[in-house]
Amino acid sequence: MRKPDHPHSIKTILTFAIAFVSLSVTLLISAILYSQFSSTIRENATVSTREIVRQVNANLNYYTNDILTIAGYARDLAKQTNELSRTEIEKRLSSIVDSRQDIVCLLLFDLEGNVLLSTTDAPRREATEIAKQTWFTRALGGEGNFYFTGPHVQQLFTSSYPWVITYSQQISYTNEEGELSQGLLLIDMNFRTVSELSQSAKLGATGYVYFIDNNGKIVYHPYQQLINSDLFNEDLDSAQEYIFGTFTNTFEGRQRLVIIDTVNNARWRIVGVAFMDELMAGLDQYTTIMLIVLGFCIVITIVLARMVSAYISRPIRELDRLMNSVERGDFSAPPTVGGNQEVAALSQTFAVMVKRIRQLMDDIVTSQEMKRKFELDALQAKINPHFLYNTLDSVVWMAEQNDTEGVIRMITALAKLFRISISKGRDIITLAEELEHVRNYLIIQQIRYQDKFEFSITLEEGMENLPTIKLIIQPIVENAIYHGIKYLQEMGHIDIKVFRRKPGAVVIEVRDNGVGMDEQKLATILSFDGQHPKGAGIGVRNVHQRIQLYYGSDYGLELSSELDVGTLVRLVIPEQSPIQPIKVVQS
Amino acid sequence: MKKGILILLLLSLLAGCSNKKSEATTSYRIAVITMMQGGEFWGSLKNGARSARSSTGAVLEFLAPVNESDYEGQISAVQRAIDQRFDAIVLSPSHYSRLEDVVAKARSAGIKVVLADTALRNQTADFLITTDYRQIGKAMAEHAFTHFSEGEPINALVIGSMPNTTSMTNLVESLVQTFSERTNARIVSATYSFTNETIAREITRNALESDPSINLVFALEEYTAHGVANALGDSSDIHFIAFGTTQFEIQLLEKGVIDALVVVNSFNLGYRSVMAAIDLLNGNKPAQKLVDFDLVTKESMFSEEHQRLLFQTFQ
Repeated sequence: MRKPDHPHSIKTILTFAIAFVSLSVTLLISAILYSQFSSTIRENATVSTREIVRQVNANLNYYTNDILTIAGYARDLAKQTNELSRTEIEKRLSSIVDSRQDIVCLLLFDLEGNVLLSTTDAPRREATEIAKQTWFTRALGGEGNFYFTGPHVQQLFTSSYPWVITYSQQISYTNEEGELSQGLLLIDMNFRTVSELSQSAKLGATGYVYFIDNNGKIVYHPYQQLINSDLFNEDLDSAQEYIFGTFTNTFEGRQRLVIIDTVNNARWRIVGVAFMDELMAGLDQYTTIMLIVLGFCIVITIVLARMVSAYISRPIRELDRLMNSVERGDFSAPPTVGGNQEVAALSQTFAVMVKRIRQLMDDIVTSQEMKRKFELDALQAKINPHFLYNTLDSVVWMAEQNDTEGVIRMITALAKLFRISISKGRDIITLAEELEHVRNYLIIQQIRYQDKFEFSITLEEGMENLPTIKLIIQPIVENAIYHGIKYLQEMGHIDIKVFRRKPGAVVIEVRDNGVGMDEQKLATILSFDGQHPKGAGIGVRNVHQRIQLYYGSDYGLELSSELDVGTLVRLVIPEQSPIQPIKVVQS
Repeated sequence: MKKGILILLLLSLLAGCSNKKSEATTSYRIAVITMMQGGEFWGSLKNGARSARSSTGAVLEFLAPVNESDYEGQISAVQRAIDQRFDAIVLSPSHYSRLEDVVAKARSAGIKVVLADTALRNQTADFLITTDYRQIGKAMAEHAFTHFSEGEPINALVIGSMPNTTSMTNLVESLVQTFSERTNARIVSATYSFTNETIAREITRNALESDPSINLVFALEEYTAHGVANALGDSSDIHFIAFGTTQFEIQLLEKGVIDALVVVNSFNLGYRSVMAAIDLLNGNKPAQKLVDFDLVTKESMFSEEHQRLLFQTFQ
């Protein structure tokens, strides 16, 4: 259904897995139940149909036995013609016939068709006409031979045409000479009994029972008139083919259950026809109910599958949401999720992991801070050796010249310089202190360079106690002296001005009138890439890096310079709340 | 996607089980209107209709005037069927034009009308079940001719029942046609008894008196045949061919008074008409098939096939 590279959600997979398994089981059980039930119904239907047909057959058997009994009685009487008068015998026979509604008449013929005994005195047909009828000819062939006809129009009496079934038997009787002679006994029955038997058999709604003779011809069929008119077809071929037993076949589009049994005495066979769709009507009802239940089960299963999968997948989704928020950098949410055991365990593990990450991040921040501190310390330390060497060299020189005052001034300035430099190990000092530091530095340098330059320091009122990182002005000034003023013929000027600049910045401006720089050099220094030749710019770059390390990239150095005009350096730092100056310096 | 298939499957399952419950037992109400109440022919037709009823569960009501000649009574019977809102009417019109209006009315009221045995002059019904009366006429005439030698003059009297019915007109036309094709054969008179035994007897007597050369009579209906038989008497050398299956006629056939009986399978007629009506009501097309008939003689009357046709009321 879906592209293989598109992963399914757990919910979908679970839904389908649960639904598939449940539905398979449900369908399998339904199929088994259905087949069981249908085979049971089929079996029951077959058994009950067979039973009905057997019952009809048994009833017919009683009936034919009855007829045979009457025939036996008539046979006995026929041998007593020398003892009983014909009238007496006929009277006895009549009383039997009259007592039964189904027997039309009983007659005894000689083999030529002449009547010897009769229970009725209706005008009869000619003997020759009688002797050629089927029931007569078929019963001949030896004493005891008998025959049951199918329904036919009686042709014994003139002007009377009832439909009858005839039982005929060749018997011996005592003739007028007192000798035994062969005759033919006839019992005509209206076939109400047979039709009632046939119609009493209810095989489903429209099933029926019919009789065929041993040639496969219909003896009695409830739809005889329809068959005569070609309005109904009977499947006589397969009835003839199977002869006996139970079978199902399809005739004219309907599946039929056919049961064939032989009828005793009559050489007939009884055929029961039941229609499978009617017998299985109960199955239809069952099927309907089962399908409804099945449909209900399917719906329930799908709903349940969805609910269960939602229950299982919800905490996972929750966890996923949490992980996403952690991914975005939010470590504040407590990463614990309820739900099932596995997800809870997973969530706990995740919580531990997040905690650990937080810890690690804190560690990184601390170490970074430390690293920066170390760097600062190193940078600060870098300033000192050069300067100290040169200063001390100047002090030595002055001492050689016996310039005691100069030595005192120098050493005093140096002492102040170092005090501020050390400043009890603090990084942050006030602007006043910083400027004091520069002043002492400049004093030392003035002595060293024998008043080769002048300087001025201007600090706006009220800015004295504003904080700054220490030792940022001195390297700029040092640079101005070494690379600007030093090569100058006339008097050099270094002016330091500190003022506020909006918004919230403090600018320390160092201006000199030294030789200046060309644009290329300026660009090299400004690029701060650290790859330029040693010497020029190192201090400047250090200052810039320190400011940026401490205050961020919004702050730092601004340089402008022009050859033979001078250089202007602006140190920009943020304005922060004033701090207390270090007492040592104040004294 | 998969869910859709599942739902589809479910629906089809449910639809499948509801589908099984079709073809419920129809309890259509059908009026069967014959030409008259009595008579073997109509009795057998009604038996056929009843047989169709028991196999379909339809409700039948038999409506008919007392006499065949009472077509007004038949019109009011059809009207009654319309008023009582029957689903279908099976009708054997006793007048081929007078019943056309009421049949049209029934059809416009949404009632299916199946004509049985006789038709209307302008075909205005939904279906017609009948037999081939022209073929019967031809068969009757040809059978009659077998009783005469070649060239022997044949003077026939034809008595029908109702003059304004398609069955009679077809029969008479066919007889006239077949007679015209044989030399020396003529129909002296073709007239109608209005299904009245007495009228038939008088017609026969008068005809025989006025034209002694008459040597063949055709009676095209059972009551008419009884009248003709009365007029002819037991011993007559006039050949006699009749319609019907009454016991009296069968006796006459055995006695040799009637030479041949024409039997129309009116059971079939009744059964198929009702079935056709139910087919039409169910929206199906009924089978177009002619009803069978047979010509039964004394020799063949007890053959198995003819027994069942001739002695129809055996159950």
